[in-house]
Amino acid sequence: MYDVCIIGSGAGGAPIAYELANAGFKVVVLEKGANYTEKDFNKDELAVSRRDMFTPPLSEQKHIINEYAPDGSFTRYDGEKSGWNFWNGSLVGGSSNLMSGYFHRLKPNDFKLKSVYGEIAGANVLDWAISYEELEPFYDKVEKIVGVSGKIVAHKHQEPRSSLTFPYPELQTNGVTKWFDNACEVLGYESIPTPRAVLSQDALKRNSCYYSNFCGSYGCASGAKGSARAALLQKCDAKIITDAFVYRLESDAKRVTKAYYYTKLGFAHSIEAKIFVVAAQAIESSRLLLNSKNKFFPQGLANSSGEVGKNLIFSAGGSGQGRFVFEKLTQTQQKELMTTGLFFNRSLQDWYEYEAEGKKYKGGTIDFLFEHQNIIPRVKREMYDEEGKLLWGEALATKIHKTLTTSRVLTFEVFNDWLPTNNCSVGVDEKTKDKYGVPVGVINLNGHPHDLAVGEHLAKKAVKVLEKMGAVEISYNISSAPPPNLVAGGCRFGEDAKTSVLDKNCKAHDLENLYVSDASFMPTGGSVPYTWTIYANSFRVAEVIKKELRA
Amino acid sequence: MKNRLSRRNFLKSSFLSSSVMVMSGCSLFSITTPQETLRVLEDDLFPKAKALGINTSSYLHIVFHHSRISKAEKTYLKNGVKWLNEEAVKLHKTTYVKLLSTQREEVLQNFAKTAWGEDYLADVMNYLFEAMLGDPIYGGNTKEAGWKWLNFEGGQPRPKERYV
Repeated sequence: MYDVCIIGSGAGGAPIAYELANAGFKVVVLEKGANYTEKDFNKDELAVSRRDMFTPPLSEQKHIINEYAPDGSFTRYDGEKSGWNFWNGSLVGGSSNLMSGYFHRLKPNDFKLKSVYGEIAGANVLDWAISYEELEPFYDKVEKIVGVSGKIVAHKHQEPRSSLTFPYPELQTNGVTKWFDNACEVLGYESIPTPRAVLSQDALKRNSCYYSNFCGSYGCASGAKGSARAALLQKCDAKIITDAFVYRLESDAKRVTKAYYYTKLGFAHSIEAKIFVVAAQAIESSRLLLNSKNKFFPQGLANSSGEVGKNLIFSAGGSGQGRFVFEKLTQTQQKELMTTGLFFNRSLQDWYEYEAEGKKYKGGTIDFLFEHQNIIPRVKREMYDEEGKLLWGEALATKIHKTLTTSRVLTFEVFNDWLPTNNCSVGVDEKTKDKYGVPVGVINLNGHPHDLAVGEHLAKKAVKVLEKMGAVEISYNISSAPPPNLVAGGCRFGEDAKTSVLDKNCKAHDLENLYVSDASFMPTGGSVPYTWTIYANSFRVAEVIKKELRA
Repeated sequence: MKNRLSRRNFLKSSFLSSSVMVMSGCSLFSITTPQETLRVLEDDLFPKAKALGINTSSYLHIVFHHSRISKAEKTYLKNGVKWLNEEAVKLHKTTYVKLLSTQREEVLQNFAKTAWGEDYLADVMNYLFEAMLGDPIYGGNTKEAGWKWLNFEGGQPRPKERYV
């Protein structure tokens, strides 16, 4: 029997595997996808970005999506027929292999949203069961073990830190960042070098970033990116079983006894362990618990509260862009603009909290980055004229060539809280099965109007920077469209077993040996990408499990 | 093994060369193949690709037999060949490939006036750009000609094998 069985090998599961295996415990990790190493990763745009090689085909595994309108009605989408894809990365290390690694910590007020900013009608806002101070040592641990590069600059929303600096210096940046910094200075904004989970020098037995120009969406061929695989799983001897899809957890009234999984060929196996940790990413973790209902837990495993799957959240906000054209630049600036490989790495958090009309609002983060270097979407975008009419022939060739060789797009991404609501949740559809014959997850989607108002506020600030920098064709889109890779909630943690699934240590209230350690525990999401917080919390939970196993 | 490969090659070639029945009203007017029409259509939509030496037709073989491109998408590509040819028959009483270039341009202009016609042409160009700007290992972007035209350098490391 294993000491610990972890379901999912991404940022939520890997820290526990790393800590427990390195402490001498017998750990097994069940991963649905295949294993890839640095040697396997390449920059094949067709395979990675257009044929989705790291996610399951929707014809075999999909979701049912119910999109709610403000009046409470909803439209049902079949993931396969609509192409609406909520998979993020089925491979050892999960989607952390494919992240861009924009690493921001939550801030102290993110842990007490209800207390600080008050209730919001129609939203289920709560304070967290822990404080920033309790998580801070684990944020610090992630900096050192996973590897975070950057430069601390003083700004009004800088969160408290136990280490003065990041362990690794900031990555090299493109000359255009100077234009950005100058624009911010004129506007009175505080430009922040974006911390990245990317090594800027050889360290931690991994190679430095080699500025491949293709970071987000792609696996890292040097190991510089702090994926759960490169940073943690490759540095411990936890047993990893690949192509293992866990479809059910078996339990008695108090304890989980077995995890059942299917191999790629459909053979069923089971694993016994003292402790089980679910970390399959928020939607799939709730789905697994709901699909594991039994006579002791007829509503789903660990679901006596009826809260499993509830209060699913994403990152609210949206994105925008502006274009820099040669006609408005000097030759030196043109050269700076077209230099590829180097990062942009600039963020603004001036409005992480702001006041409007005498009221205090929780705001968010704006990250700035060059448009992704994938060339096919950049070319395809030129296929239409200003009136939206399809072009072809010489006219199209001329437009493509001019746009791609004499201009470049700087984009921004807005991150603000996606308020939890009753109509944003996970369920299962008993009638719709995946290729394994297991009921698929149902994703109920609902955006709160407050999220859009905050996103708009932030986007308008970003637009001012682009204008000041001299960009043209500036536009943005703030919407309730959920970013599938920024998902959390569904198994909230809390003190009260009647209103939460997990206790403050992310152990199920209902069971003695079941933990959920991905982003499912988060009652609110904060206004930054989640990965750093998922890593930190998983290291925290690892400490708890270690103590329990030693007791 | 040899027989299995032959069988696979036969299947690969058969989809692109399968028959597309072109109707004129309720009557069968002619029979063409996706390969025949798409080869000419791609040259008409983006002649620069041919000028650069891009091998779009070999890439179409990959598209029609790719494990991650749905059957519905492949059928759509094939059906569009029928729709385009029927537009050609309606306007000029013959199939698309038999028209003069000015006549084909007229067919395209008419075809693109409908949303579904425009969407189809965009879909064909989507695969054309994949051929032209994907990694050369897929056989379309010969000598990186598509990348060089746009001063683009592919990311490193490059793939060692095709993902199909």
